[in-house]
Amino acid sequence: MSNPLILGIETSCDETGVAVVRGHEVLASVLSSQVDAHARFGGVVPEVAARAHVEAIRPMAHLALRQAGVHSDQLDAVAATRGPGLVGALMVGYSFAKALAWTLETPFIGVDHMEGHLFAPRLEHNEFEPPAVVLLASGGHSQIVHVRSWGTYEVLGSTIDDAAGEAFDKIARFMGLGFPGGPAIDRAASDGDPTIVKFPRALRDRPYDFSFSGLKTSVVTFLEKAKASNTVPPLPDVAAAVQEAIVDVLVDKTFNAVEATGVDRVAGGGGVLANRRLRARLQDQADRRGVALHLPSPALCTDNGAMIAAAGEFRLERGDLTPWDIDVSSSLRLADL
Amino acid sequence: MRILAIDTATSASSVALGEGDQLVAMSVRVDRRGHGGFLVPAIDFAFSSADWKPRDIDVIAVDVGPGLFTGIRAGISTAQAIAAAIGAPLVTVSSLTALAVRAATGHRRIWPVVDIRRGQYATRPFRPFPGGVAPDGPAEIVSAEGLRSLIESDADDTLIVGDTAGFPATVMRGLHRTKIGRPRYPSADVLLEIGAIKADRGDLVRPEDVRPLYMREPDAQINWSDFREEGVWPGAAE
Ligand SMILES: [Zn+2]
Repeated sequence: MSNPLILGIETSCDETGVAVVRGHEVLASVLSSQVDAHARFGGVVPEVAARAHVEAIRPMAHLALRQAGVHSDQLDAVAATRGPGLVGALMVGYSFAKALAWTLETPFIGVDHMEGHLFAPRLEHNEFEPPAVVLLASGGHSQIVHVRSWGTYEVLGSTIDDAAGEAFDKIARFMGLGFPGGPAIDRAASDGDPTIVKFPRALRDRPYDFSFSGLKTSVVTFLEKAKASNTVPPLPDVAAAVQEAIVDVLVDKTFNAVEATGVDRVAGGGGVLANRRLRARLQDQADRRGVALHLPSPALCTDNGAMIAAAGEFRLERGDLTPWDIDVSSSLRLADL
Repeated sequence: MRILAIDTATSASSVALGEGDQLVAMSVRVDRRGHGGFLVPAIDFAFSSADWKPRDIDVIAVDVGPGLFTGIRAGISTAQAIAAAIGAPLVTVSSLTALAVRAATGHRRIWPVVDIRRGQYATRPFRPFPGGVAPDGPAEIVSAEGLRSLIESDADDTLIVGDTAGFPATVMRGLHRTKIGRPRYPSADVLLEIGAIKADRGDLVRPEDVRPLYMREPDAQINWSDFREEGVWPGAAE
């Protein structure tokens, strides 16, 4: 089947995403974001997320089909995130998608969320092909993946504590910047001078792994001392210094992996890849080293249904359909695919 | 009128197909987890047993709780997707009503009980009348001891049904006008009966308007930095 018409559903965390994709063309991609519901908690509350998904899933599915000008009977397959993620949240989109596929008598594909992120660059960069190194960073995950070929993934490095987006969230909250922290720090850092303080870059001795909990602690210590001595620097400078510390580590480790694997393509995915400073620094490094960089636009970096449809298309072509009795799984691993 | 009924609100999951309230096919499983793995295979099995197609269905009945949150949502999402794909309406049924309808015999006031975990139970009194039951008070969340107090203050003979297995051993001791009976869980065949009546009355719901009946607010996980909520630059977010 060439260019199948696929409905992709993503509900692993706090975005209800539904998209209609034909081949690599996104016909519609809609999102019901729950940011406001979680903001007062300073992070994603699983039960709050699941409750919002069950209210949004049917309207979002309807909206995506309508925007795409597609009737559900025309779909060639339905794909939904099976994991990793929050079980209660996953269950909503996955149950909806599975029942829809069954009713329409069309193939169903349970997609690995991370594999979805790996396929997102393809939706805008047709030429993006393995082998490549992909940096995945969001509120829930931070990994460097060596994509040897589609379907064959080696996770070179991961975070040993907080995810990069989680570090942004926690630090932003402490600074009084609100949730989600990544965009807040990005904005606050716009005219900041990142050199006023140098926060630590952790795990220098491990080429591909991340650690962000030490950064959080050192920002808190720095600011509490500054407050006590009445020498709190301007907000934009501290925001820029925090951002630089996170970005430095993400960029360095990504290009460590590029060097070690010898690939000439780099890509990224996850909400943190929407950070403007990170995008600029990755581009700068890629240019310097003469490797191609394929970053999805910010809307396709954050969780969305289109990337799930894209990975679903690959699995459909391979005949990797998901049996009806397979349930969601909070702990899927890319390396096991 | 052909009805598909889905009940995954408790540890027991079931799916039924009915010609009106007459049971045609049914599939049941008891397991407090894994509703998502059970539902579509069970629906598929029921349809092939009945030799029906999804589009033969006129209305879908779904248990909206109270009960296990994840199970309730799995059932609702599944019902919504099928209803949307075939253009059928839904009827919603409370797990407490489903229990009371099945228990309705004799004269006793019925107190159905659904275990919603953490030592909490949803309950609501029902009065039996020939051919049915009627709610006879508000739905409440109580502990096992709290249920005992409610029963003790009920002047009538009472029947407790539902999932009382988690009650402390002695909590219902000495209640002389009270019997503990069956069923333990709501099930889809009862949903057929209730669904047929509600559909006849025109008590239908569009798929997007179905809401779970949680009866309990989510527990918010408070983050690392909560105790420093003020922030270094308070109000910087605005
Ligand atoms: Zn993600």
